[in-house]
Amino acid sequence: MISPLEARSLSLVREGNAVLDGVCFAVQQGEIFALLGGNGAGKSSTLLTFLGFLEPSGGEVLVNGASVSSDVAAARNAIAYLPEAASLYGHMNAYENLDYFLDLAGKSAGRSEIDAALERVALPQEARKRRLQSYSKGMRQKTAIALALLRETPILLLDEPTSGLDPVAIDEFHDLVKALATGGQTILMVTHDVYGACQVADRVGLIRGGKLVGSFAAENGERIDTETVHAAFAGRGVA
Amino acid sequence: MLNSLSREIRFLGKDKGAVFWLALAFTLSVIAVSFGVSEVREQRETIATLLEEDALDRASALEGHEEWGSAAYYAFHFTYAPPSDFAFASMGQRDTAPWKHRVRMLALEGQIHEADTRNANFGLVGRFDFAFLAASVAPLLLILLLYDLRASERTARRHDLLVATAGASSRLWLPRAIVRVGALATLLLAPLWVASAIEGTGAGMSLQASAIVIGSLLVWWLIVELVSRINATPSVLLTSLIGLWLALAIVVPALSKFAIEAANPVPDGGEILLLQRETVNDAWDLPKEATMDPFVAEHPEYAEHAVIEETWAWNWYYAFQQVGDQAAAPLVQQYRDARVARDRQAQIAAFLSPTSFVERSFEKLAGTDALSMIAYEDAVRDFHEELRAFHYPLMFPEAPYDEELLEDLPAYAPPS
Repeated sequence: MISPLEARSLSLVREGNAVLDGVCFAVQQGEIFALLGGNGAGKSSTLLTFLGFLEPSGGEVLVNGASVSSDVAAARNAIAYLPEAASLYGHMNAYENLDYFLDLAGKSAGRSEIDAALERVALPQEARKRRLQSYSKGMRQKTAIALALLRETPILLLDEPTSGLDPVAIDEFHDLVKALATGGQTILMVTHDVYGACQVADRVGLIRGGKLVGSFAAENGERIDTETVHAAFAGRGVA
Repeated sequence: MLNSLSREIRFLGKDKGAVFWLALAFTLSVIAVSFGVSEVREQRETIATLLEEDALDRASALEGHEEWGSAAYYAFHFTYAPPSDFAFASMGQRDTAPWKHRVRMLALEGQIHEADTRNANFGLVGRFDFAFLAASVAPLLLILLLYDLRASERTARRHDLLVATAGASSRLWLPRAIVRVGALATLLLAPLWVASAIEGTGAGMSLQASAIVIGSLLVWWLIVELVSRINATPSVLLTSLIGLWLALAIVVPALSKFAIEAANPVPDGGEILLLQRETVNDAWDLPKEATMDPFVAEHPEYAEHAVIEETWAWNWYYAFQQVGDQAAAPLVQQYRDARVARDRQAQIAAFLSPTSFVERSFEKLAGTDALSMIAYEDAVRDFHEELRAFHYPLMFPEAPYDEELLEDLPAYAPPS
């Protein structure tokens, strides 16, 4: 079976430094895979290779079985990307931003669909016609998530998605991500939040110095054990 | 593509910075075109007034003479180069070269070169006409509209989201840039088209002018596009582009001008004036043969009238006027040749500077380039030659003055 996302011996060298070194993993349909690591571990670089922004120095990345290098547009069309601290346009309101970005993606959505998506991410009704420059970071993030929902892509890439969100918003976000995976979306998130990764992911890959050094999977309907992952993250053991 | 353009037009409408620069472009275009139309109308009114006064003055001056020599002496003739119906867009050399004279049968070159320019100061600071706007200001506006298309999105950490959402870069940056360049071109050209309609400019000329403006914007777009590919901050990109603009709009034309002028020295108009006047003035103190011999060499048909017995005679007077022109002729030719050579070399150098190229192209279209001004001077010379050809056959045989013959007096016709 073809994995929606796959990294095969992925290596990346930038300015003479090995950023990624032989990273291998595959994410199955409906799975949430969290790539966990500290600053500079290579998490975001891995994610950017799936979007074609970084060209692998060795190995390859595949989206729906096709090499990203051979057809980057096809890969991007299959992916909704939520960057860290997603910055939409501050001078436009939520509706205008979503209209613009959906149009950019070659999709369109009616006001009711947009409202439904904004409802799903719990963006207050009264805020939707306000310019985003008046939004909190959490509200901007919710708008960006609504965009990802509206694009209805089979794959979702999340870069530190809960960074800067308050605990309630984080819980709401985790519930949303789980619901999307249950609906069949394939989700790859990169994060340095051990607790968040263990809460939401079906599998956690630990990356350090550009190498995948550990992997943890939820078993028997239980969540991944945070203590174990934290110990590995802190360098006290690797599963 | 149409969807993308429509999306980016809506987006542009919400970008206050871009809207400001576009509004400024339109305002400047309206101002430049208005100045041009106003100036051209003033010049046309001046010409019309002077034509009317010239006819009255000459009619009065030609009355009651007994000799053709005195009639020719007192009769002035107004010569001029009318502004073309596109001159409002580019005043060009009309600001630095004379476009009107009052000449009479005396030595001509002094009369041509003693004429002052209408406003010599414009030769230094230039005029804010449409050509200047299109050549020098429009690129700056284009730079301000395009320089941070990518860089500002990178700074706002929106670049990757935009590109990932668009799928291909071309679906985003190309339509965004097309809309901005298209809006700038339209807002710059709209006042020009309106003024062209008012001034009766031919559609072909308007189209050519539009093509020049659009071509220039495309060249500058290419330059901005190439520089913007550098992964640098918006301020670094802006500084680099302004530097390039300075180089292409100021430094290259200035260096070209310096080199061309050094390679093609042009005698001063004052030197021509001085040489011609000295020759004329010296003739008073020289034996009459010193004047009549070179005159007859030029006009052998009057050899039988070349012996001047009197102390003073109109024949001799006009002969030494002509000899003055003959003496100045080599310098005049040198002056003319050097100007033509400079113009030819400047045309080649203009390929190094889009700014110069646009200005020169507009001057050419508007008939305000150096060659057009030389053509006007040539038209004055031709007319003066016609005056001599009319008067000499009457003057040298000392035919009695007959006002009825004035019906055949040549009338100046401006160059077409």
